[in-house]
Amino acid sequence: MFALLLQSSDDVVREIARLQRNYEFLSYGLVVAWLILVVYVLMMVGRERKLKREIAGLKAMLEERK
Amino acid sequence: MRDKILILLGGVAFALLFKDLLAMKGFTESNQGAIFKIIFFHVPMAITALTCALVAFFASVTFLITKNFKFDALAVAVTEVGLAFLAGNLITGSIWGRIIWGIWWTWDARLTSALVCWLLYAGYLMLRRAIEEPTQRATFAAVFSIFAFIDVPIVIFSIKWWRTQHPQPVFWNGGSFPAEWYPTFGWQMLAIMLLAVVFTAVRLRQEEFQREIDSLRRMAHAL
Repeated sequence: MFALLLQSSDDVVREIARLQRNYEFLSYGLVVAWLILVVYVLMMVGRERKLKREIAGLKAMLEERK
Repeated sequence: MRDKILILLGGVAFALLFKDLLAMKGFTESNQGAIFKIIFFHVPMAITALTCALVAFFASVTFLITKNFKFDALAVAVTEVGLAFLAGNLITGSIWGRIIWGIWWTWDARLTSALVCWLLYAGYLMLRRAIEEPTQRATFAAVFSIFAFIDVPIVIFSIKWWRTQHPQPVFWNGGSFPAEWYPTFGWQMLAIMLLAVVFTAVRLRQEEFQREIDSLRRMAHAL
């Protein structure tokens, strides 16, 4: 009877650990998914700034040459 | 005006994603546990990525017929956006696999064909960087994009054609997706599709900027 109780408490501990691991990996997944979206937005913002700077630089250079 | 609309739509999409994140907290799944909720990102990202591939295919075919560079710009914009979403799909799937299968990766038909798809479209973007002359670049890229699209039906039907470790769809044919989760899944699908549309519109504008830079360079060279 005592052994059975011990075994079931082990099971409870194992089940809690499994659930915690489950939540831990879910949070990794959600963080990665959000991170990909945010990093892509930041990449696009950076690229847009670079392109606008380049256009402004080229226009200024053409004005100078004219 | 166009900027404001894009920012507004992007904001709405991110707000929807956040709303779904809160809605997901209340869901419980008895077989797989919390990790099952990764499906809210994994599947919409896959559908969005494959839709992007379809659009890229039609844009490439149309470019080859019409030689209109707007279709080339659409193809490259939508391919890059699709690649980002496919990366999200592959990584979230791998995280799910680590819990359910005990492994990060297996070379089964669905996973392998999806990875090949990602590599093909990454190759498409690399090919574009390697060719200087715009017409040649657009033509080669369009042909490559059409070739790459062959992999898309293989990704979709791989779970039907071969015995795979990847699960069968849970949404139809008596699938195990809980009925009360469908509205949240629908909103999530809408949010990610909306984001893809906004990202594509921004990338299209950047392609316009690039064309303007090319023409300014030609003018500077001529002076």
